[in-house]
Amino acid sequence: MSIDWIKLLFTLLGLFIVLNYGLLQYGMIRRITARIGKRIGMPVYQPYIDLIKNYSMRSQITHGVMFYLGPVFRLAGGVGIFMFMPLIYGSYYWSNYSFSGDVILIMYFMFFGMLGMALGASEGGHPYSFIGISRGLSQFTTVEVPFTLAVIAVAVQHHSFSLTEIVAGQQGGIMHWNIMTNPFAGIAAMLAFLGMMMASPFNVVQAPQEIPIGPPTEYHGTYLGLLQTNRAILYVSESILMVNLFFGGATNWIELIVKSFLVFFWPVFVGLVFPRFRIDQSIPWFLKLPLILGIIGIFMV
Amino acid sequence: MVSPVHIVSIGLITAFLLGLGKKSQQSILVLVLLIATAAMTMISGSWLIGIMTGSVQPTDVFTAGFKPPFAINLRMTMDEAVLTTMVNLFGFLTVIYLFDVLKNAGKHLLSIIVVFLIGLNVIVMTRDLFNLFVFLEITSIATAGLMIMIQDSKSISAGFKFLIASSVISGILLIGIIFAYSYIGNLNIDFMSNLSLIKGGSVAVFLVLSAIILESKQFPANGWALDMYESAHPAIGSALSAVSAPAVLFVIYKLMPIVPESWHSLIGLFGLITFTFSNFLATRQGNIRRMLGYSSIAQGGLMLTVVSMSTFFGNSFWFIILGFLLTNFFAKAGLFWLNGMVNSDDQNKWGVLRKRPVLFFLFGAFVVAIAGLPPFPTFFAKWEMIMQLANGNGWGWIVLILLGSIFEISFLFKWFGRVFHAEEEKINDIRTPWFKQVPVLLFGAALLATSYYFVEYLNFDVLFVMLPLLIVTVFFAIDFLPAFVKNLLLIASLTIYGYLIYPEIDGNVMQLVFMGVFLVGGILTLIPGFTQKGTRAGFYPFAAMTIFGLIMLVNPADNLTFFMGWEQMALGSYILILRGKKAERPAQQYMLFSAGGAYLMLAAFGLLLHFAGDTFFGHLNGMLPGGGVVFVLFALAFMLKAAAIGLHIWLPGAYSEAEDDATPLVSGVLINSGVLGLFWIATAFGPQQLFGYDIYQIMGWVGAITAIGGNMLAIYEEDMKRLIAYSSVGAMGYIIFALSMNSKLGLLIALYYMVLHFIYKTMLFMSAAGVIYRTKTRNMYEMGGLIKSMPWSFIVVLIGIITLAGMPPLAGFAGKWMFYNAVVMKGWYLQGTMVFFSGIVAFLYLYKLIASVFLGQLKDNHRKLKEAPFVYLLPQFIFVIAIMVLSVFPQVLLEPLATIIPDRIPGEALHWDGKLAMTSFGYWNAFSVMSVVIVMFAVIFGWLVYHSRKAQKVKQFNIVFAAERPFRPETTHVSYNMFAGYKKALGWLMTPLATRFWTGVSDWSMAIADKMRSWYTGNGQTYAMHLLLYAFVLYLLISGGKIL
Repeated sequence: MSIDWIKLLFTLLGLFIVLNYGLLQYGMIRRITARIGKRIGMPVYQPYIDLIKNYSMRSQITHGVMFYLGPVFRLAGGVGIFMFMPLIYGSYYWSNYSFSGDVILIMYFMFFGMLGMALGASEGGHPYSFIGISRGLSQFTTVEVPFTLAVIAVAVQHHSFSLTEIVAGQQGGIMHWNIMTNPFAGIAAMLAFLGMMMASPFNVVQAPQEIPIGPPTEYHGTYLGLLQTNRAILYVSESILMVNLFFGGATNWIELIVKSFLVFFWPVFVGLVFPRFRIDQSIPWFLKLPLILGIIGIFMV
Repeated sequence: MVSPVHIVSIGLITAFLLGLGKKSQQSILVLVLLIATAAMTMISGSWLIGIMTGSVQPTDVFTAGFKPPFAINLRMTMDEAVLTTMVNLFGFLTVIYLFDVLKNAGKHLLSIIVVFLIGLNVIVMTRDLFNLFVFLEITSIATAGLMIMIQDSKSISAGFKFLIASSVISGILLIGIIFAYSYIGNLNIDFMSNLSLIKGGSVAVFLVLSAIILESKQFPANGWALDMYESAHPAIGSALSAVSAPAVLFVIYKLMPIVPESWHSLIGLFGLITFTFSNFLATRQGNIRRMLGYSSIAQGGLMLTVVSMSTFFGNSFWFIILGFLLTNFFAKAGLFWLNGMVNSDDQNKWGVLRKRPVLFFLFGAFVVAIAGLPPFPTFFAKWEMIMQLANGNGWGWIVLILLGSIFEISFLFKWFGRVFHAEEEKINDIRTPWFKQVPVLLFGAALLATSYYFVEYLNFDVLFVMLPLLIVTVFFAIDFLPAFVKNLLLIASLTIYGYLIYPEIDGNVMQLVFMGVFLVGGILTLIPGFTQKGTRAGFYPFAAMTIFGLIMLVNPADNLTFFMGWEQMALGSYILILRGKKAERPAQQYMLFSAGGAYLMLAAFGLLLHFAGDTFFGHLNGMLPGGGVVFVLFALAFMLKAAAIGLHIWLPGAYSEAEDDATPLVSGVLINSGVLGLFWIATAFGPQQLFGYDIYQIMGWVGAITAIGGNMLAIYEEDMKRLIAYSSVGAMGYIIFALSMNSKLGLLIALYYMVLHFIYKTMLFMSAAGVIYRTKTRNMYEMGGLIKSMPWSFIVVLIGIITLAGMPPLAGFAGKWMFYNAVVMKGWYLQGTMVFFSGIVAFLYLYKLIASVFLGQLKDNHRKLKEAPFVYLLPQFIFVIAIMVLSVFPQVLLEPLATIIPDRIPGEALHWDGKLAMTSFGYWNAFSVMSVVIVMFAVIFGWLVYHSRKAQKVKQFNIVFAAERPFRPETTHVSYNMFAGYKKALGWLMTPLATRFWTGVSDWSMAIADKMRSWYTGNGQTYAMHLLLYAFVLYLLISGGKIL
């Protein structure tokens, strides 16, 4: 098997762009959040400082092999989603490794990092980790239901699971976007997206002030650095996934960044308005309105 | 050849001689009796052999020098030869068995025994009605005499009730004989063929017939008989069951030619009602002798059905009746005799048999034989009977037989299970002198020999049936060897068998796959058995039986072979489950559900014979229009084994309570038999409808609900094995769903997942077995942090759960990916999403499984644990390698599997472009995904290693914990009720409806049986009334309310 080195370079470049974009985006959102709370907030470049600090910490501890591997799984999961995602429609080099599999691969690859991280954190043995993980997994089960329905609806509509095909089918103006052609599926997916991003009111997993900070409690230094890197990449990748599925994809980087920023802003906006659900509230929530919308969405096709 | 009349004359002379003897010569008298019975046996036996070999012609003996009808004639044909041989041989063995009793009893008892035997012989041989009456009376009096061999109030009152009953019966019989004589002018049956044609003659026939039917103890006019069984000496109970009843039934057989055709089926129905209801009532019976009484009466009822319908059964008649007759003869006599040895009617006391391996084995064989499981004759007889009834559209009859059989299995195996698990300390040892053992051993051997002849007669395939049966038999014979040797031998014989069978099935991918799963699974799951010490008596024969039963399913030449393999596998696995420490109840449940499934299947085979003739159900090639009912019956039967929701309640108990190292076999391997069956019907029957509903659609929903239900139930389990067991339910739901899609891709998913589930489930159960072997507990919250001491087991579980979860890059993802494509193509979005949801729910219990056991806080008492033994790990890692290969090159498995699926199945197939799998919807390249993941993982890992190369390993409790340092792992390890929040949110989904339903069924049937039993008041007058009422009802039904 021959390796297309140029494509690999483009992919890494894309990864680098997304990483920086993710860090800046995070900084920006934190700042916006602070302003809404009438605080000044941290500088936009603060995530860079955190990252550099964490990677350069010298004394570190480990609780065992799985603990050590947890963040690796987590970051591999995030990067994996990025790798299998086509970024720019119509560009061979910016389609990453999306030829390896379609949207199903991406959906299942989300679990890869999640489970690996869960296992790593568990070896740390901290009760908060366990509680956070059990909450996260529980909530995730129902979050995925409306999302899956929405993805199936889109796939049926375009007769393909291939993200490239799905984006191709949405070209030609805003009225061709799936959010317009199948608003029910689109809304169901956007509601599920709230849960996927785990922002308030669905932030029971890390639940600041309650089980600070849940699964990563025991992680510090480079481990935490990896997790922060992942956060930047993963959140952007998931936003790009939503853009590809429902908002017509993107034909250039500007479009991609604008769209994904707006998509990303949606959970932030909701999170600032609504307080946290308890776990037994958040689990069934997704089986109510979002599920019904998802079902309608699938029968709309 | 000695004239058959000398059977009688020897008996008479002996009776006189015994009268001359003195009390002091009792031993000699017993010897005389023994010799006499031996002589009688030899006479009838020589006739039997003579007629069988053709060296002697059947004959009639004329008494008093006249020909019938002017004198009495005794007939000796094949029929009489068989029955008199049975009677006399039984008499001979009874004398041996009762040696100690007879020695001390006084000479009268000896005479009574002889008279009893003479009576039965003449009843069998005579052709004269009045002579029959006389000898029935003689036998009755002798029976009453035998009843009071034990002289307690119970047996005396039972004897008295018997006399009341038999006088009522004799009255009816005598009036009938008088009528017959007045119409025909003679008393010989052979001259009465036109009796029923004469006006009023039918009344005579009715009276004679009804008297004999009453004598054969039909339900519900049989309270007197039950009391006899309950109170008589076991040897006498044995005589009632093994020889009296057949002799009376033979009389009915003799009478059938004079009975009008139109009555036959009604009598048959009455017999069947007896069979069903006696077995039903027996389910509530704890007293062994009474229970055996119920069972004997039930078998009598079944035989009455066969006898009365002998013309209907035609050529199969002999096969069927001999199957029932001989099994009942050997097994029932054997059980009564064992009862005499154990000397208790308390099921718990029977546990003492466990100290006598040979007797215990025979006990099991007798129970299994009566229950009608292979390879015993009843099994084949029942099969043939059902097939014949199906040919004649006797669906109601089949339902009754199958219901009765289920009840029969219920009480027989409850008994067996109790004996298997009775507490040692509560058992007093028993004396088993040689003269009590010899008859049991002989009859046991005879039963096995009969089974052999039945199997031989049916001409089964040598390689696929006879060889496996032989191997299983050998393992019974060598059961005294050490476990290590037997394990090695079984693995070796499976390997050699695989080598022998391979050329036969080479080229047939379907057979290769399933044979591979069963054989390789069998071999690999046996490997951990090397840790067993001692002989592990009773394990290997049944392990062999299970595995070879499974193998029989793969290449059945016909439906019977398949069914036989199925039943054999069920029996073997039942014993494997029963061997667990607390497995009595779960094993009983397993047996009941297995039997239920098997009988549904039997009914389906009957229907199939009716619809499609004698074709093997897997070879129908999509051609069975209107076979909806057949399909549903098959589907239910297989879904029972695959534990579809509602039919799953046996599974968690059975899998978790089986011995830890046997669980992988009975779960991961065996459950695929259900998949095999489902796959076969899915491909063979074509689309089917029932009442206008598409059955596949319904099955699809069942599959989806099963998937969710199984996985939901798993997440709240604290017991490691129960958790994995429930996960099997979920996986089976997934497979059922995939099969019901009835598309090329759907079937491919089902097959692929079957293989995959086999691999990871076997692996997980073995790993669990290894952990339990070390920790000595199954509760996950009592474990934690075991990754340090058992890293290899951890890796196996990790690989297993990633595969199960279907995460890329491991092999499970192939199943999920194909699944989406198939669902979208089929258009089953909602069901598909449900199954998908179940897959995510699985994450919860998978996490709980691995985190509670291997991660988190190590417990103090586990600090010195070692890794699981090598023999546990070896097969696990073979499976791990298999998963790894499949993960990178799924086409290795998927491409051959796709060739199994017939072309006529609709839908798009999976395409391959090199390593890229494609459908019209999506694509996926396992190799490429794996490469990307590996590279990415390695780079990030390298990055981490570079940055934290100086990371220090810290002690267990060195964690950030709110200014406090925890010391107790128990309070720090979060495991118990881990998903409490989930339970609060969605717990209502787990309302145990199925358990409630089945408990309700069980409770209600118990209550009804209890209520019905109160019909037997124990009052002799009531019993007499029952007899008259029975005759009256029979009359009304036969005559249709008119005068005959």
